[in-house]
Amino acid sequence: MDTDRLNLLQGTLDVLILQALHGGPLHGYAVSRWVRERTRGTLQIEDAPLYKALHRLEHARCIAAEWGLSENNRRARYYRLTGTGRRRLRRDAVAWRRYATAVAHVLGPK
Amino acid sequence: MRRIFQFRWRSPTHIREDVDAEVRFHLDARVEELIAGGLPRAAALAEARREFGDLEDARQYMHRIDRRTEWQRRRRNYMWDFQRDVQYAIRRLRSSPGFTAAAILTLALGIGANTAIFSIVNSVLFRPLPFPEPERLYAVYSANRTADLLQAPVSAVDLDDWRAQRQQIEDIGGYFYAEGSTGIDLTGRGDPRRLSVVFFTPGFFSSLRVTPSQGRLPHENEMVRGGRDRVVLLSHRFWTNEFGASAGVAGTTVMLGGSPHDVLGVLPAEMRFPTDLADVFVPYSTIPDSGIPRIRPVRTLSVVARAKPGISREAVQAEMNTIASRLAGQYPEDRAWDAATVLPLHEVVTSAVRRPLLVLLGAVGFVVLLACVNLAGLQLARAVGRGREIGVRIALGARRGRLVRQLLTESLVLSVCGGVVGVFLAILLTPALLALAAGELPRASEVRLDAFVLTFSLLLSVLTGLLFGLVPAWRTASWNVHQMLREGGRGNVAAESGRLRTGLIVAEVALAVILVAGAALMGRSFVALLDVDPGFRATGLIAVQFTINTSKYPPPPAPPAGSPASARVPAPYTRFYTQVIEQVRTLPGVVSAAAVKDPPFRGNGERNGFGIPGRPVPAGQDAPSAATIHVSDGYFRTIGARIVDGREFTPQDRFDAPFVVVVNEAFARQFFPGERAVGHRILRGAPVEIVGVVNDIRQVALAEPARPTMYVHNLQNSRVKTTIVARAQGDPLALAGAIREAIWSIDPQQSITGIFTFDESVSRALARPRLVTVLLLSFGGVGLLLGAVGIYGILAFLVQQRRSEIGVRLALGARPVDVAASFVRRGLVLTVAGVAIGLAGALLLSRYLEAVLYGVRPTDPATFAGVAVMLLVAAALASWLPARRAARVDPAATLR
Repeated sequence: MDTDRLNLLQGTLDVLILQALHGGPLHGYAVSRWVRERTRGTLQIEDAPLYKALHRLEHARCIAAEWGLSENNRRARYYRLTGTGRRRLRRDAVAWRRYATAVAHVLGPK
Repeated sequence: MRRIFQFRWRSPTHIREDVDAEVRFHLDARVEELIAGGLPRAAALAEARREFGDLEDARQYMHRIDRRTEWQRRRRNYMWDFQRDVQYAIRRLRSSPGFTAAAILTLALGIGANTAIFSIVNSVLFRPLPFPEPERLYAVYSANRTADLLQAPVSAVDLDDWRAQRQQIEDIGGYFYAEGSTGIDLTGRGDPRRLSVVFFTPGFFSSLRVTPSQGRLPHENEMVRGGRDRVVLLSHRFWTNEFGASAGVAGTTVMLGGSPHDVLGVLPAEMRFPTDLADVFVPYSTIPDSGIPRIRPVRTLSVVARAKPGISREAVQAEMNTIASRLAGQYPEDRAWDAATVLPLHEVVTSAVRRPLLVLLGAVGFVVLLACVNLAGLQLARAVGRGREIGVRIALGARRGRLVRQLLTESLVLSVCGGVVGVFLAILLTPALLALAAGELPRASEVRLDAFVLTFSLLLSVLTGLLFGLVPAWRTASWNVHQMLREGGRGNVAAESGRLRTGLIVAEVALAVILVAGAALMGRSFVALLDVDPGFRATGLIAVQFTINTSKYPPPPAPPAGSPASARVPAPYTRFYTQVIEQVRTLPGVVSAAAVKDPPFRGNGERNGFGIPGRPVPAGQDAPSAATIHVSDGYFRTIGARIVDGREFTPQDRFDAPFVVVVNEAFARQFFPGERAVGHRILRGAPVEIVGVVNDIRQVALAEPARPTMYVHNLQNSRVKTTIVARAQGDPLALAGAIREAIWSIDPQQSITGIFTFDESVSRALARPRLVTVLLLSFGGVGLLLGAVGIYGILAFLVQQRRSEIGVRLALGARPVDVAASFVRRGLVLTVAGVAIGLAGALLLSRYLEAVLYGVRPTDPATFAGVAVMLLVAAALASWLPARRAARVDPAATLR
């Protein structure tokens, strides 16, 4: 049961991160803020799993990292979507939407 | 992946720092934002930490996964570079097809020859014998230290005692086989035929741990002397050829030697010991006393033993010595045979070919080394040709290691291509080599190109590529960029690699000298072998072999001792034997004809003891012994041997005439030194007179001097094995049919066991030395060619490089001939150095040739001098061609 939730969480995080980077390269903190803003009140996501997910996605070559300068001129690690990541996002997004629709369908109208 | 600049690889420390920096940046940014939102600093810090979660765990995780990411990147990068290098190399190689073809061909020859020889060496020498736990198998010989006979066959009676008294030995057994002479007649299945038979004793198969693939082995009570059981095991080959590999052959009966034998079973295909040629295996116990008497002094058996697990060779040796000395104390006949020799079976099987094969493997190794040096020279020249390109790349920041790798990739692509072609060459070459060895190679049927050999070839290819690629690549990559760009990658580069090139020429010549010296020694040895006087004239001689069936033609009974010669009576054997010879003599086209038991190179006679009147044998010593060969009258005249003294056998030496003997010169020298042997009597049971001395006839091998031999008249001491020898007027083979018909006109049932010409025998006796000679000569030829081409290539390149310099010299008034001479001189100076080093190497190595040489010393000065001259001439020629081109440089054209 625990691992299921973890997998769900991992999958969720991955797709959130990929979506966050869809708009362009961001550093880790920006991704965190993006996720927080978009999901506040719904998902309680800590930063530790988020960073783990970032590095995991880098290892899977869905995103690539590069050092750059932040808005306030500090060295920050920027992530950008790779071709693999873009394809992964498309695929996962479709799967998520289908999943959500199915669950909504089962639960029926409010 | 887009990669314009190459990033430094991140070390683990580096990764740790990066992760820490990333996390710190996150926390700082968050704290700042929270403070901006109104929180006090301490609370903001705590809140940021809380939001982050398990920081230490995340950090560990990121370290770990980043390290993996880094490795993966490096690997991908490396493969990507490699792929690009290979593509680049192929493109470049295709742009110079001449060089590429020459290089691949050179390598293919080198690697192919190595693969072929190695596959033979591996199968024959390295692979264990095809028996379970073969390292526990030994060959055992009787040893007589006083007579210096350390590897003598074993008496069947002794072997029974050995077997009964063994302790450290799991089992021990013997066999009796002689190629072409141990045979048995098969009848009742079409034409009567002579089968090749191995006679075995109890313990033979159990020592080897061979079990039939069908049927069973004989029980010990079926192998009893005088027993009535007649059993036979079929070899896999005979079973396949004769019985079409039918499943139900065990339990049937075949007629062998006129009596029915029960077929007990079929041996597995891997059972090729002691020979590939065996048709059937029959218990030794079936040989009657009239064939081989079963007494201690008759030593006929080869013996194999299996040590118990964990028992060393020394322990087996000690045990055998104990048993042998015990028997020597017990039985007077064994008095001098108080020891045994124990050798690993594998060593015994391969001993005759070990040295020649290792010599060939060594020589072929030199060929591939020479090919390496050659290609190194070519690669260097090519690299100089692309000096500007490389200079540009170094200037643009290409790192040296990367450049070396790229240049090396080109060499590896070449060498692997060469290796692949080489393996195919080897597949074609190996059967040809085996054919050339013509049955002189033990375990030849086990030779194959297996995974081990292919691995060897692959490793050899890669090693070759590294060897000829590394030095030029390193040299090239370390050139001085500025000068190279300025001079268009010429002058300075050429000067810098000049010493390397000098070294290459010297190495090339030295290697060629070693190869050519080996070939020359072997060639001279072979010529010496061809020059050997075998003691007979082989041309025009034909031989037809058969075995007289003594149940049909009984030999004369042994006369009572002391009875006069005239008391002996003619027997059917006598009549048949005489009739056959007489019949053949009447054939048109036959100049003369006679018979012999063991023709030259087809058996070395029986070993018999004898006495010399007036010379008593000291106690504890064996009587003198010599080989005995049974002949008819007119034998020496027929084969063209020379009677040195006295006379040869005549038709008057009949069965009822006084017994006489002819001896060879070696016999006369050894036993009657300084006096006439003719007229002496020797004791062979009764005294017999020596009536003649014949020149030495080489009986065992061309390279082996004749042993002391007694020739006895076959009618005075009969043997069943008979070879009719006839000298033909024309083509001897044309007589074969007529002789066979002549024999059949007397007895249509008589089976013929073999027909051959003496020329064929001599040629077979030359087969092994010929194989080694042919191979060494071809390696030497390849060596000479590669050496000359290498010198030519390097000097020609030098001339090309110095065109402008030469032009200046010519313009300043140098004579073209002087310019040319300077190049020839340079080539020759280097050659002399190479020859000196090569001769030293050859002198060091040639002693390994000693065992395969005949009639020439491994340090033969004339041969070495000839080799030096040959190399100098080749080098002069190879230098002259480029030098001539130097002399023809047009100063105006180069200076413009």
